[in-house]
Amino acid sequence: MKVAFPYLGYDTIALKKFVELLGAESCLGPPLTARTLSLGTKYSPELICLPFKITLGNFIEALEAGADTLLMAAGARKCRFGYYHYLQENILKKIDNRHCFYAISQYTPYEFFFKKMPQIFGVTPQKVIYATWLLLHYSALIDYFRKLIRLTRAYNFYDAQKKELEALRIIENVSSFKEVQKAKKELRKIFSPIINTSNEIIRIGLVGEIYLMLEPFANYEIEKELGKLGVLVVSKRSLYRHLKHLLKLDLFDLRTISNAYKYLKDSPGGEAIKTVGEAHIFAKKNIDGIIHIYPFTCMPENIAYEALQKLARDYEIPILSISIDEHTSKTGLLTRLEAFVEVVKRKKFKG
Amino acid sequence: MIKTYLGIDVGSISTKGVLITENREIIAHAYLRTQGQPIEAIKNLIKELFKDNKNIEIKGVGTTGSARRLAGVIVGADVIKNEIITHAVAATYFYPETRTIIEIGGQDSKIILLKDSVPVDFAMNTVCAAGTGSFLEHQAIRLGIPIEEFGDYALRAKKAATIAGRCTVFAESDMIHKTQLGIPIEEIIRGLCEAIVRNYLGTVAKGKDIQPLILFQGGVAANIGVKTAFERALGIEVIVPQHFLIMGAIGAAFIAQDYTQKTKSTKFIGENLLDINFKTKTFECRDCTNFCEVIETYKNTQIIDRYGDRCGKWSEKLPNII
Repeated sequence: MKVAFPYLGYDTIALKKFVELLGAESCLGPPLTARTLSLGTKYSPELICLPFKITLGNFIEALEAGADTLLMAAGARKCRFGYYHYLQENILKKIDNRHCFYAISQYTPYEFFFKKMPQIFGVTPQKVIYATWLLLHYSALIDYFRKLIRLTRAYNFYDAQKKELEALRIIENVSSFKEVQKAKKELRKIFSPIINTSNEIIRIGLVGEIYLMLEPFANYEIEKELGKLGVLVVSKRSLYRHLKHLLKLDLFDLRTISNAYKYLKDSPGGEAIKTVGEAHIFAKKNIDGIIHIYPFTCMPENIAYEALQKLARDYEIPILSISIDEHTSKTGLLTRLEAFVEVVKRKKFKG
Repeated sequence: MIKTYLGIDVGSISTKGVLITENREIIAHAYLRTQGQPIEAIKNLIKELFKDNKNIEIKGVGTTGSARRLAGVIVGADVIKNEIITHAVAATYFYPETRTIIEIGGQDSKIILLKDSVPVDFAMNTVCAAGTGSFLEHQAIRLGIPIEEFGDYALRAKKAATIAGRCTVFAESDMIHKTQLGIPIEEIIRGLCEAIVRNYLGTVAKGKDIQPLILFQGGVAANIGVKTAFERALGIEVIVPQHFLIMGAIGAAFIAQDYTQKTKSTKFIGENLLDINFKTKTFECRDCTNFCEVIETYKNTQIIDRYGDRCGKWSEKLPNII
């Protein structure tokens, strides 16, 4: 069995390990490139959001590489994401009908542990629970790595780029709970000497739609570009937090939602309520600016956009909203980022 | 020798340049068409600016606009800044009370919000370019009216025809439809000006807190019809500064002045740049499936700039110029 699932930035490594723990081989296809997107766009409805197009292209390339089992997350309540899998399954069946497509619902843990996963992978529920427990720790390690690399990029961009591959190799070689702890120490050893905290930097909070935030290909490597401009990116979204949220282990969740209340009383679907809540927390914590990224035509995030404008006025915090689709130009994006960073710097250091 | 600073703004439609003295007086300015050839435009601009000013010494150079990087490497700029900052710097110099800058250029439009002379927020058009200068110009040509007189036509109209402003193509078919109905051209032009303002306020300035003093800059500010439409929609006076066309270039010169007064030297390569052959080449890197388009700038045969690669393996071999 060759299993494919959509790439998810750095967290891909953790998901790959999860699939391998369940005794299957992972076959994700080549890294995401312009070809992935144009394939996805070709077979997608025109006005659907960008994550749909990229993940669809991603699946097509995985099928070309020989994958026979496709796993797609499902269930996001009021947002279109909940319907992605119906449409993708249909489209993919027309392209290649020798594969199996499974929609993994995120909000039904009982079914996940005891029915769906054991059935797909032919393993016991205990094994699924164990693999999920390890997945949680792997993703925590990646979250830790992400924090380190963000810090390093802000202070010492070019060295961070050089060390990134080395660090990723360490994470890839981890295969048990014990090694996770060891890897954390090794990562610290790699990065701490090159974090030079002498010069003053600005901190920018990143909020928005989760796939765009986690997958660098989808967000035009926004975190790297900000790091190059000497910005420390702060973000609360990751696979680790999302898993904790799904397993109801995340205490930060409640704080986020209570903080959103002033600007958005009820969830309009997707992650809009988190976007607003996190932005509010950032504003209170004296973060210097907020960048909001979301797919063009994303309904929940467009509602969050309105809420954020009000928040920006109340806290006098600069907010840059970037809606992304396949027509977004990287040059245009860079101009906006550069200008935004300059505005934030001038505001912070007064001229 | 008069000590001067040079500011260059190379935009999509026009190339602007300005020479200022140490006391920030403008001694020369020029405005020409880019015509898709930024390198030629920059050379002509330099020629134009230096024509009547032989007795000057350039102490610093700043570039801005969408071709700021190219302009920067060609003339040897000390600072390369984006349009937001240069416009804000120039605006607050002439009008320190400015709270809002409306800037509509050839292909983009932006809003900049300021507080205590510091830009605190901005927005740029992202998915739509309806209502920018190049669209207006296209319509002016189609109607056979010189673009300079466009605004006066709008002012002559007693009322405005309704024109859809969401999309340039639909706006155009709407205009054609209205002319076929026999509606006077003045009313259609006024309708178009109002559609542009509606589109701007609904997309670029959406949700932004517009406070007086409001400055209107960029090429479209020349159109009195659009200015009046803004005033009507906002209910507050909108000021078009004297140098609205070259505000970006002025800001770039100011920033270059501030910067070079600290560094005490300039990278400006001098008037002899007119004799140098600059060229840009592009190639597609085929080392991975991203197929990045790498852009190279040559000074005679020497490579002076290279960018466009995602991984950085081409650009990092050259010193970072920004």
